[in-house]
Amino acid sequence: MNEEPLFEAIFFATPAIENLSLRLPSSRFVESEGIESDLIFNPQRELRFLEIYISMAGQTDPHVSLFSPQEVEFMAEDEMVEIVPNMNMDPLNFISGDFGRFVPQIPTQVPLWLAVALKRRGKCTFRPPAWLSVDNLTQVLEAEREPLSKFQELPFSYVEIARLLFDHARDDIPDMYMVRSLVEDIRDVRLHKLETNLGTFLGTSAVRMQNVSAMEVNLVRPFAIRALEAFYKHDKPEADEDRGTRSSSSRQPPREANNDEPRRPLRQR
Amino acid sequence: MASKYYDIDDILTEEEFAPVLFHKPANRVTIDPSAETNYVEQGAKVELPFWLAHELHLRQAVSINLPASFDQKTRLEIQADAACVDLRSRCPYFYEFGCKLQPLVTDRTLGILLSTAFKIRYKERLTKVFTATHLTASKFLPFLTIEETNLYEAAHLSMTAFKKWRTGGPRFQRASILGRKRKES
Repeated sequence: MNEEPLFEAIFFATPAIENLSLRLPSSRFVESEGIESDLIFNPQRELRFLEIYISMAGQTDPHVSLFSPQEVEFMAEDEMVEIVPNMNMDPLNFISGDFGRFVPQIPTQVPLWLAVALKRRGKCTFRPPAWLSVDNLTQVLEAEREPLSKFQELPFSYVEIARLLFDHARDDIPDMYMVRSLVEDIRDVRLHKLETNLGTFLGTSAVRMQNVSAMEVNLVRPFAIRALEAFYKHDKPEADEDRGTRSSSSRQPPREANNDEPRRPLRQR
Repeated sequence: MASKYYDIDDILTEEEFAPVLFHKPANRVTIDPSAETNYVEQGAKVELPFWLAHELHLRQAVSINLPASFDQKTRLEIQADAACVDLRSRCPYFYEFGCKLQPLVTDRTLGILLSTAFKIRYKERLTKVFTATHLTASKFLPFLTIEETNLYEAAHLSMTAFKKWRTGGPRFQRASILGRKRKES
């Protein structure tokens, strides 16, 4: 019998897994010289990330591996955002890519971590992403509040991006307080919806949910995996018992589930 | 199943007592401390730990009956309101033990009882962890079995970590090895 938490693979049906394999911690280290040395990130954190990533590769660990919220935030920082620099700088060459010439008042796309670093040194301002406007968020909130609706389309790491922007770039977002309260409301509603979703697990062995963001996935991941395993364990003896009563042979201890037992259908969410 | 063999919860589950009925007499065993002789006769009813009962069952020396934690009284309580039944005082490994007993005991309804009880309790109690306040959720903590407590802990830990992250904090943590400064004595 397969003891491994195979539900984790199905539950992870989000784009993040492809990105995980590409993101190496060393991408943050600066390759060429002549750059301010304090752009190099804390190596302790990088090593921790690498260790977690490697332990995720061998999934037979019965203890569920959990990303801490800081680690999820770390991974979210690779998203590209638009900034407007206010200084001149040559292209920066990092292992993860080159980020082009910074010319004053010309918007450039950079990863979030670089944008935050530049902002803290006062070298740029943020351009808020399109989804972070009051109109869009109000619309999303209304749609989420509909009963029995699915999860709305939101960027995968919207929680982390929103938090980072609020922390560092307050003045760059118009109507900051309104946007902030909207994001909090959306998060609450989605969390409630996620919870009722969890309550409907009963009896399925695999669940698929769409449009759940990274932080929400991380929140429910250990709980959901253990719950699915428990349901599987309870339903398996029932399935074996049904087979035993149907067959007319003498009673024997039921064998382990064979591979030809039909798989339960995935439950669409 | 090597991972289960060394699992401490598995070992403790098998320590739970199950009443058995001996089919063959057993000689020179001190199973029942109150008996005068070291002899268990055929047809005697004794409470044995599950690991022993299982082995004897495989040798067809005993037949296993349902322990008291799975009897009619518990069933009625579960049917009435599964969410509030205090399962831990009956048997802290309620589900695990039931799953182990299920192939060995002639009672067919055990599996259904376990899964319905678990489903109801799961839906009522455990899914409320994420949004409930600490007080409401922790009132029922002593009633949960060990497996349910594991689930609860998993959810609770991740929720507290998330809340801590949300309130912000320094992005870089001081390594614990740098600890307190020692005064030069």
